[in-house]
Amino acid sequence: MEDLTLPKNKLTGFIKKIQSDYTIFAPTSNDGIILYKQIKSPSEIYLDFVNSNVPPKSLLFKQTETLFKFKKGVKAEINPIDFPNSKNVIFGIRPCDAKSFFILDHVFRDDSIDPYYATKRKNTTLIGLSCTQPGVNCFCTSMDGGPTNPDDVDILFTDIGGKYFVEISNEKGKNLINKAKNLFSKATTNDKKKKQQVEKKSNDLITRNMKTKGVKEKLDKIFENEIWKKISLKCLSCGICTYQCPTCHCFDIQDESTLTDGARIRVWDTCMNPEYTLHASGHNPRPARMNRTRNRVYHKFNYYPKNYNVIACVGCGRCINDCPVNIDIIDIIDQVKEVKA
Amino acid sequence: MVDQNKLREEINKIVARDNVKYVIGWEKGTYGFQVTPLFATCSEDVDKLIFNPLCIHNLAVFPMLEEKLPLRNGAKEDTRKIGLIVKGCDSRAIVQIIQEKGLDRDDLVIIGIPCTGVIDPKKINERFPNQTKTVDVEEDEKNFIIKTDEGEHKVPKEKFIMNKCKSCEFPNPIIYDVLIGKEIKSAKKPDYKETTSFEKKKLEDKWDYWEKQFERCIRCYACRDVCPLCYCNECMVDQLNPQWVRRSVNVSENTAWNIMRAFHLAGRCVDCGECERACPAGIPLTELNKKLEKDVLELFDYKPGINAEEKPLLSMFKPDDPEDFIL
Amino acid sequence: MKNDNFEPNIVAFLCNWCSYAGADLAGTSRIEYPPNVKIIRVMCSGRVNPMFVVNALQEGADGVLIGGCHPGECHYVQGNYFARRRMTVLKKLLDYLGIDERRVRMTWISAAEGKKFADVIKGVTEDVRNLGPMKQIRRTNSW
Repeated sequence: MEDLTLPKNKLTGFIKKIQSDYTIFAPTSNDGIILYKQIKSPSEIYLDFVNSNVPPKSLLFKQTETLFKFKKGVKAEINPIDFPNSKNVIFGIRPCDAKSFFILDHVFRDDSIDPYYATKRKNTTLIGLSCTQPGVNCFCTSMDGGPTNPDDVDILFTDIGGKYFVEISNEKGKNLINKAKNLFSKATTNDKKKKQQVEKKSNDLITRNMKTKGVKEKLDKIFENEIWKKISLKCLSCGICTYQCPTCHCFDIQDESTLTDGARIRVWDTCMNPEYTLHASGHNPRPARMNRTRNRVYHKFNYYPKNYNVIACVGCGRCINDCPVNIDIIDIIDQVKEVKA
Repeated sequence: MVDQNKLREEINKIVARDNVKYVIGWEKGTYGFQVTPLFATCSEDVDKLIFNPLCIHNLAVFPMLEEKLPLRNGAKEDTRKIGLIVKGCDSRAIVQIIQEKGLDRDDLVIIGIPCTGVIDPKKINERFPNQTKTVDVEEDEKNFIIKTDEGEHKVPKEKFIMNKCKSCEFPNPIIYDVLIGKEIKSAKKPDYKETTSFEKKKLEDKWDYWEKQFERCIRCYACRDVCPLCYCNECMVDQLNPQWVRRSVNVSENTAWNIMRAFHLAGRCVDCGECERACPAGIPLTELNKKLEKDVLELFDYKPGINAEEKPLLSMFKPDDPEDFIL
Repeated sequence: MKNDNFEPNIVAFLCNWCSYAGADLAGTSRIEYPPNVKIIRVMCSGRVNPMFVVNALQEGADGVLIGGCHPGECHYVQGNYFARRRMTVLKKLLDYLGIDERRVRMTWISAAEGKKFADVIKGVTEDVRNLGPMKQIRRTNSW
């Protein structure tokens, strides 16, 4: 599909045009914390950020999701919820976060389809925003991605100065652009050159690398190694890494009710909590932080690749940025590669 | 600046002791202004030990995180001591835990370092963004000396020091076995100006402010896990029977959680600021804790973490406690 | 006033030995008091966890009352003293967050003070009626 451009001052018009058909989610700023939220007016959009605080997985895999409602009684009533058929647009998603949806798809859409995630996923068009200033801890280039990579989004906007360079990846994206065709112009060779310059600049700004070759096999050999104890001594089991990670997907299911009615809800959970593996018998197979930290690394770099052939990490660097004790996943994988099996 | 060689010398002596499991200190982090906790068991580890104005972590959280796992048949419990490097505020946390009988004084070997203040990570990262390589920081009387790739920069302490350090009453560790460096004379008194001016606001304004903050809470419980004084074996918020706070994330439950935590820290919080530093949603938790710190001081004349022999605030009473609100 | 038909829900935690007996005396003496109060008997006011108060406000109470024995007369010697300290701290915390601390009240009522119990309930009900329904941390129960 041919590349287009959109002048920056026409962005508001574009959003307003598609708002009639689509519900728009975009990055907003709440006291400096960037969060993806549903917006009512284009003025709420905030684009001067490296990456959002909470990853956009919260839009498809909601932190609190109602599974069904019920009424208590001698004959209990269970009321399934309606799945809204509204079309959504996530505007301004970064290529790494978009890649995370493909990783989450394996869990929620492969063998058994989770309708809560799958309906939203099907109805959502992703408009990506290239990274022009990657963060210090970004390493998407080591994880089969890139700051200006259009593969995982339906449309990709890249800021090339006074306008956005627009790349359309598939039919879904094309349908969306067609709704406001008149705002876009064909991209010139000059525009394409500028995009390539932005691409090179962004790629060069990413300095951290994770060498993932052979990690899966190496991990198979070092399960009982001493390094896990060393690494996890400083882990606080706080769970920030799991909440901020775009590919982490553990959840808990709870019933909440009043005297007469209630609902079954699904909430985010974290494997870093001691209670995560607490059995009803009282036994806990992962009682120590060592077990849990080790499990997290294995899940992302060994179990997930074994099941689905992809490392469950997109290189967004949020876990490195937010860990209060500076546990660094790149450093851990470096240690894994160095240690003697 | 603390003499790093003297520090390492003393720690080496302690690490070499038979009855010490490890000494917890700090070492260089993996990028930028990060430092990370170090668990030193041998002299190679001790060589990596540092102490500079970036060492903000409150290491008092680690002794309580030690898991006591079931032992194999015939195995003996590891009762060796834990060595811990503390600054002034950190030592208050230790004293408070000892006061509550969470730890025995004999379980610890405490190395105290009088502290002249730590750098605010948010402010310094704003001033020197995008630092990939680790940065060295030193200090003189009035400035922090930042050594990045681009060269050496002097920044005034006043602008980049943590807010809590500006009104630090106890820069010298209250409890220690070894003291590294000279004691610091501090005339600073705790500053409750902001708390008092917030108290005077209208009720609706106060709620508007806190509602906006609690809307962002993602209930990750990092504030609880990073706090040295939150060490309950089973936190009330994790209990399911009875369930005090529902697991769904909305303003009502988030407020209940923050009320629960702030209340449980009444008379126990030593204002180390770790909760606010760790919070990924940027909620100003120290404001809440400071309010209770002020009230506890005014109403009951009690300061947490000063005297290990005292009784904790809420497990004692005076017959003439204030009761003007009681009908 | 905002809603003339607003009937506040008051939850009262009354200690078994003094204030619950006092409430019982008000009943047997046929003293009238507003029916807005829902009484929960606890063995001692010191048993009241501050989270009881918060949960009550979440679940639909507009006001919470804790009734204990007079200082020095607690059946368990010191329970009411601890409760007094806890409630002082809780009220300060709620006020700082913007939740009206007049919704949380405490009272000493002995087993002989049936009339006082009725008066206290009348007063608290009126006060909470003027404050309006508790909306801030009410559980919406709308999933």
